[in-house]
Amino acid sequence: MDEARHMSKSIIVAQGISKTFTNKRGSTKVIENINLEVRENEFLCLVGPGQCGKTTAVNVLSGLEPASTGTVKINGKTITRPGPDRGFVFQSTALYPWLTVMGNVEYGPKVRGIKKSERREKAQYYINLVGLEGFEHSYPNQLSGGMQQRVGIARAYCNEPVVLFMDQPFGALDAQTRYLMQEEIIRIWETAKRTIVFVTNNIEEAIYLADRIVLLTNTPTQIKKEYKIDFPRPRDYTDPDFLALREEITNEMDKTL
Amino acid sequence: MIDNTRRSRKHGARAAVISIFVFLLIWQAATTFTSLGILMPSPLISLSAFFKSFIVPIGPYPIFIHIYWSLVRVVPFYIVGAIAGIILGITMGWYKPVAAIFRPIFEILRPIPPIAWIPIAIVWFGIGEGSKWFLIFLAAFMNVTINSFAGARSTDPVLVGCSKMLGASDWQIFTTVVLPGSVPYIFAGLQVALSSSWATIVAAEMIRSSEGVGWIIISSQETNNSVNTLVGVVAIGIVGFILAVIMREVEAVLVKWTKRDI
Repeated sequence: MDEARHMSKSIIVAQGISKTFTNKRGSTKVIENINLEVRENEFLCLVGPGQCGKTTAVNVLSGLEPASTGTVKINGKTITRPGPDRGFVFQSTALYPWLTVMGNVEYGPKVRGIKKSERREKAQYYINLVGLEGFEHSYPNQLSGGMQQRVGIARAYCNEPVVLFMDQPFGALDAQTRYLMQEEIIRIWETAKRTIVFVTNNIEEAIYLADRIVLLTNTPTQIKKEYKIDFPRPRDYTDPDFLALREEITNEMDKTL
Repeated sequence: MIDNTRRSRKHGARAAVISIFVFLLIWQAATTFTSLGILMPSPLISLSAFFKSFIVPIGPYPIFIHIYWSLVRVVPFYIVGAIAGIILGITMGWYKPVAAIFRPIFEILRPIPPIAWIPIAIVWFGIGEGSKWFLIFLAAFMNVTINSFAGARSTDPVLVGCSKMLGASDWQIFTTVVLPGSVPYIFAGLQVALSSSWATIVAAEMIRSSEGVGWIIISSQETNNSVNTLVGVVAIGIVGFILAVIMREVEAVLVKWTKRDI
């Protein structure tokens, strides 16, 4: 079917990417030779231990930072710098504190010169989608952590990018809000399908969310193993298969102090 | 939350009234019961002279005309200095080559107090209004530049990355991230600069003038009239305070997104 054909199309193709940081004290290789393909509308989770190069990996994949070697292609186009065909949700939310919820969400279309009525309509759609109707005129400092991250998600969506990168977006939330946001991101993704690359250090979160988990090693970060997850959604954290897989990945993951 | 702010403001106002009252009381006692009274007028005398000066002129004018003349000198050139300072500070903070050119010069000029420029100001601009405007301009410019510079430098790199990802051009990043992000710093600078410019009026009117609050102080020194000195001091203090309050209100209206306590 159409759906099946779409699933097979590769949106992100990363070949041999590595990243080395150099300073006066010497150079550190943070990621080494990562090869990765992400298919259209796939929900991919990058999982790795504590201080591994997860953030660097997603920064390079998204073009936020250039790779030292290797190439990243998105939709066949080589990526060297940030651009609006990609969306990014930051762990720190990175909302503009001087803009309202509406101002934040419409920022992308606004700087790209989309006319006001059109971008307002689009922004309103995504504000409603993330469940923030009625908060359009609130400033970020008036919102809870979970609501702030909803704004971050709506803002990334509003540019209608090909791929969404999410770097530990729920990392700063309390456990309860985190579970709620996991349900929410699946609901949002099922309503407005996109290719998502989601970084987390939480194995349970990854199994709950992902179509596929890519497990990363300690630094210099490489791909250790992949897991395809086909449990039906919504998933049950207490399902025996879920727990067995969680155990398996936990044992496989590199340990850090 | 709003209630809390209101309550703490009320407490703050009450504390201010009490602290000023106690201060005046001690001053009054000190001048009445000790020999300090020979050297310094009591607050009752000073304050009554201050209020009397609204009707009875000091020199050519009553006090409010003096205040008016001083404000006419300070406000326009404070604004010019502030605008120049914002432009230089922000561009210096964001564009490295601009900082490389201007920062060393600026860092050398910065510690020099405006009054040190008086002789040069007179040579350049004469003993008329020009030299006064120059000193006030300098006082505003230095303070606003350094704060705007700090503001632009403190721009969050994550927000810059985020804007790039959303499709903003370099110029759009400057206007939508660097500039608004610097606003709290700019206001801190405007606040300090306002006090500094207003305080510089005394030095500016020392050059040569025949009116203004600074003139009151200078001429009272010449006639050894310490009551009038205090009238000038009280006028500078009260007007400076009112200017600061106005500035804070302007900030509160323009910068709704920061919750900065006063």
